[in-house]
Amino acid sequence: MTVSTEIIPLLVVVLLLLSASGGDVERMEVVFEGTHPVTAVDDALVVGGGEVTVPAGTTVEGQLYVIGGALVVDGRVRGDVTVLSGTASVTDGAVVTGRLDAVAGGATVADGATVGDLRRVEPTPAGRSPAVRYGFLAAQALALAALTAWLSRRRPRALATVGDSVVNHGLVSGVVGLLAGATLLVLFVYMAFTLILLPVSVLGLAGLVVVLGYSFAVYGYLLGRRLPVERVDAASALGAAVFLLALELLGTVPVLGALVQFALVGVGFGAVLLTYFGLHEFEPARIPE
Amino acid sequence: MTPYDHLQRRDWGAAFGLLLFVALMTAGYYYNVTFVQLGLIDLGVRLVGMSRAAVSVWMAVLALLTFVVAVGFGVLMDRRGWSTNLRAKLRVLFLVVVVQLALTLAAPTVRTVPAFAAWILAASVALGVGFPASFSLAIDCVPVPDRGPVAAVITAITYGAANAYPVEWSIDAFSRLMVVAMVPGVLVLGLLVSGRVRPVERLLDDLSGRHRRHGTGRFCRESPVETRSVGFLAPVMLMFGVFFVDSLGFLRIIETPALILTAWQSPSMETRLLIAAAHVVGAVVAGVLYVNFDLEWLFLWVFALFSVTYVFYTSDLRLAAWLPASGVGSGSVLNPAFYSLTVSVYTTLNFALWPDLSTAETVGTRTAVGVGMAGWLATFCSTAAALYLDGAAVPLLTHLNLVQALALLLVFGLAVALYARRTVQVARTGREGSP
Repeated sequence: MTVSTEIIPLLVVVLLLLSASGGDVERMEVVFEGTHPVTAVDDALVVGGGEVTVPAGTTVEGQLYVIGGALVVDGRVRGDVTVLSGTASVTDGAVVTGRLDAVAGGATVADGATVGDLRRVEPTPAGRSPAVRYGFLAAQALALAALTAWLSRRRPRALATVGDSVVNHGLVSGVVGLLAGATLLVLFVYMAFTLILLPVSVLGLAGLVVVLGYSFAVYGYLLGRRLPVERVDAASALGAAVFLLALELLGTVPVLGALVQFALVGVGFGAVLLTYFGLHEFEPARIPE
Repeated sequence: MTPYDHLQRRDWGAAFGLLLFVALMTAGYYYNVTFVQLGLIDLGVRLVGMSRAAVSVWMAVLALLTFVVAVGFGVLMDRRGWSTNLRAKLRVLFLVVVVQLALTLAAPTVRTVPAFAAWILAASVALGVGFPASFSLAIDCVPVPDRGPVAAVITAITYGAANAYPVEWSIDAFSRLMVVAMVPGVLVLGLLVSGRVRPVERLLDDLSGRHRRHGTGRFCRESPVETRSVGFLAPVMLMFGVFFVDSLGFLRIIETPALILTAWQSPSMETRLLIAAAHVVGAVVAGVLYVNFDLEWLFLWVFALFSVTYVFYTSDLRLAAWLPASGVGSGSVLNPAFYSLTVSVYTTLNFALWPDLSTAETVGTRTAVGVGMAGWLATFCSTAAALYLDGAAVPLLTHLNLVQALALLLVFGLAVALYARRTVQVARTGREGSP
């Protein structure tokens, strides 16, 4: 039996959650296939596939995570159940003393079942009200605009240098950005599996977000220069908000929109790296005719 | 200047030169990565009945002999002035392709160890003569600024076709395919060297003088690079490291059915197309990087990519050991896809690098030493190392861990060397500037 690669990021999430809650990842058990009645859990149990049942009349103590397959609780769970993918069902008369977090996948709780705290997360934008969606976008745009305005006041030359790389060296910026971005992203995910490097992995992922945010500020600066606003910081801030909105709108165009988004992100990311965050102008190697 | 510009300016000689170079190098490299590298193993094991280890020893002999013949012929080319004689190089290539066609036809009939040995010897001579002759055509056919993109096209077509077109890894299948491809190649080369077709002669006349303009490579323009200088030997050693790392890892991967059957030999067309696409992307990436970065950065990219590739493989294997029920470690197509991308990056570099480290007068020797040391001698050494590790019954994870360590060491070593060189430069500048 081979588990799909998609389960790996979910395993990383489980590792992060378990580490954060003080659990011992070394004692974590993972089930990938078959039918298993569980009567005891060391510290944490991850259901990655197959079906795991807590039989009626049995009490298990620990954290249960579902990232694939099915978890059926007929007995008693003294701890939390987190569903990231797959399904969890708490049947009539069964008890979960802690929380049942249904982040994704399916979670059903029978009328006669007892759950300490049931939380359902609706991560899909479609589930949000338009006010929440647009409010969230506006908050992001405001934050980006504030960052761009600050950078354009304090580091205008750096933004201009990165912008020059975006405009004049778009191809090499895109290639470097996509190559480095994809490589680093996967590398940081894999780092998490070493457990020792888990903090480095989190830091690395945060670093990627910083580079991305910086590149968005550069796009804002570039757009701002073309807007009929005199003050550079105000123009850049407005440009950043317009850029974010344009990126969001591009997402509504099937296939092509995503490709353009991808290219913009790649070019921006690469330009930031190539210019050392705008500290050094990128000069391609000179090739004689 | 791009290949498209040549067409726009109706510079048919330049366009013909690029087409000729791409066609010859693509055909030659496809022959090498399929027929020679994969077909011979099948020939030795299945038809001759040798052990896998014995075939590996003969493959190492092939690599070593090819290297020796190539260096000898490369030096001869430069001394006799054949390096700057386009027609002489084409005549040599015509002979090489005729010999290779005969060898390709004969290969499936080989049944005994002496016949296999004789075949290996003849193939070594053909390969050794062929590649300095073909690589040195770059000075006639490919302008210096076009070398990165042209190398990318050769790599993309070769690996794209080798992976997307499903051919059974058997000597019979490779032989049939190669004969079909080589017969028109022999005819075209025959036409080129016949000296009887006037339009062809005009094109060859046009190309013949271009080595005066394109002969001095990109890295020899500002200051001359001696064959025995660090400027040439350092890239040779670095490329040796690249080929050694690749070959040492791949030799083990192709012997692991769980890894090979879910990737390069997967029955799924989608998987093979993904790998082919990764090769094409890698070639394009390398083409762009080659024209925008200096040599040391290109090597840093290659070693870094290899390091990441083996981090992926070893992480999967560790995960599989930690969670045996997961099946992770054999099924992910991301690993071979990333591996393929990396291979395309360095292959592109290999095609463009040696002519760019040469002049018209030294291209025979430099390409022979460069490709020979890096490609063939590294293969010889890695095969020997792989056989030793095999004999010592080293597990897969340990083997790949070793390769990963080597890649990490090379990327770290190169970074430190570059930093040290820069420090020395800064220190010298400081001393010169001080009162």
